[in-house]
Amino acid sequence: MSFAVIKPGLETSVQDWPGRYGYWNQGFPPSGPMDSWSFRLANLLVGNPAGAPGLECQYMGPTIRFDDQTIFSVTGADMQPTLDGAPVPLWESVTAQPGQVLAMTFAKLGTRAYVAVAGGIEVAPWLGSRATFHKAGIGGMGGYALKAGQTVPTGEPAPEAVAGRRVKPEARPAIATDRRWEIEVVPGPNDDWIDAEGHHRFLSADWKLSGKSDRTGFRLDGPDWTSTEKAINKAPEHGSLPSNIIDQGYPLGAINLAGQTPIILVNDGPSMGGFINPYTVPQAAFWKLAQSKPGETYRFKAVTVAQAQAMARSLSALCAEASITQA
Amino acid sequence: MIYPEPRYLPGGDRYILVEFGNEMNLELNFMAQGLAAAIAEARIAGVIETAPCFASMLVHYEPELIGFDDLTTELAKLVAGLGPSDALELESRLWYFPAVYLDPWTRACVDDYIAKIAPKTPDWDLMVELNGLRDTDDFVRVHSGTEYWVASLGFWPGLPFMMALDPRAKMTAPKYNPPRTWTPGGAIGLGGASTAIYPEALPGGYQIFARTPVPIWDRARRFAAFEGSICLFRPGDRVRFVPCSVAEFEAIEREVIDGTYQYNMVGYGKFSVALYKSWTASLGTGRGS
Repeated sequence: MSFAVIKPGLETSVQDWPGRYGYWNQGFPPSGPMDSWSFRLANLLVGNPAGAPGLECQYMGPTIRFDDQTIFSVTGADMQPTLDGAPVPLWESVTAQPGQVLAMTFAKLGTRAYVAVAGGIEVAPWLGSRATFHKAGIGGMGGYALKAGQTVPTGEPAPEAVAGRRVKPEARPAIATDRRWEIEVVPGPNDDWIDAEGHHRFLSADWKLSGKSDRTGFRLDGPDWTSTEKAINKAPEHGSLPSNIIDQGYPLGAINLAGQTPIILVNDGPSMGGFINPYTVPQAAFWKLAQSKPGETYRFKAVTVAQAQAMARSLSALCAEASITQA
Repeated sequence: MIYPEPRYLPGGDRYILVEFGNEMNLELNFMAQGLAAAIAEARIAGVIETAPCFASMLVHYEPELIGFDDLTTELAKLVAGLGPSDALELESRLWYFPAVYLDPWTRACVDDYIAKIAPKTPDWDLMVELNGLRDTDDFVRVHSGTEYWVASLGFWPGLPFMMALDPRAKMTAPKYNPPRTWTPGGAIGLGGASTAIYPEALPGGYQIFARTPVPIWDRARRFAAFEGSICLFRPGDRVRFVPCSVAEFEAIEREVIDGTYQYNMVGYGKFSVALYKSWTASLGTGRGS
């Protein structure tokens, strides 16, 4: 079974969840869907395991033609999907007949949409995962984003793949309509390099998501940072600027301070480097990063490790069969 | 310094950074690599992966399987069990890498940065100025006059973070502010006291001053030297840069393209920490000549 790519959209890629774990110590990022909440539910709708390979669409979705009768679902951003011109409901499993065309356009609300097909996308794993890391040409469809004219192989659907399954409204992420987002952050690992005023400024300022953002990092525009003595009087091997530290492992989600520019390191981000990470965005807040657009505003809210872990538990509980009803 | 006890620093809901000290030396890297090996052996439920670097190690864990406090307790036990590094004798491959120093490609990249992004002292002049060197030739002599220790891989698949093993060749530099948006593939750079080779055209923050035509990662697995891996280096490898001309660079580049390039690796050496320490202790403080 398969579908054909008519228009690829903007860097539409095959991803699986949680992605390519186990190679951080060689510099391979996990990749995977940035909004794993919408991604997991898209898979559950069509009877797949939550992590099965599907499509991540960014800003502008693809147009694809199904070669076989296929149960599929679209979740996340509203890219106004249609099937042979008829609107396709989001958050619901739908049947496509052979030859029918799923067309998606620009994201009217949110930024990243997910398409799951029953049986998942069948591409060869690369270091244990089908996730695409397209900057390095790894995983997915030949290492890169979808291209027009490609045939994308899909797997055998599970017997429970049926149309008309719907995600309960209360189990869906609430995409901000006012262009403002509250993003949770956990202080650390390098929070003691920033002084009290610097922390207060970070947590009370409006931060604008820069257009120079992609799946490796989200750049933020906002006020300057100020540092503690530790950042200034230090061994020369750190590098002389206040944000310079002896190269260290980076947590995914780290707010990485390169000079004065904070960059949130996301799914295809670097595993190590020589800048400080005063805060880290926990996994359960990643969907908000995924669904925000350049020019939108972030406010950061400090939470503890325990609170961030509780958020992850609540999110996992939502990404389950209990969130789905049969129409 | 090496801290009396490591610091366990949270990174969001699923990472812990274990920091052993706040300087760069071989001892600290042994602690980071040693703890990573001990974690792999202990098979702690809930630990997904680790990423050791110069003076610290990152642990990625699944909080549904182990909590922050329990994991820190387990890590502290493993740290306490790490033996003294003096007894270590490691297999250590030595790689020779041809490199054009003060090359036209990194120079063009630096000029482009200065023109478009921010004014700065050109990188190799900055290296001379900050490290008490006579001139750029002196810089090339010092930088190419030592073996480098591959402390870890990261930032990008296969990128080696390296430290000069000869203390007389240790140099330091700030990282770019803001970082470069691109760097020529194969560029050699230095930030803090770490030397790296950029595997591909990538953004970057190190001062750059040389370029090698020899690939250090190989998606297509074309070269036997990689032994089936995608990344050439392993932590514990050593690297020496051999200055070459642009013409030699281009000749090697052609061999790389047609797949005939032979990597220059010496594989019989062992690295004895005790011998290394006694040698460094015998050195004076100057740059040598």
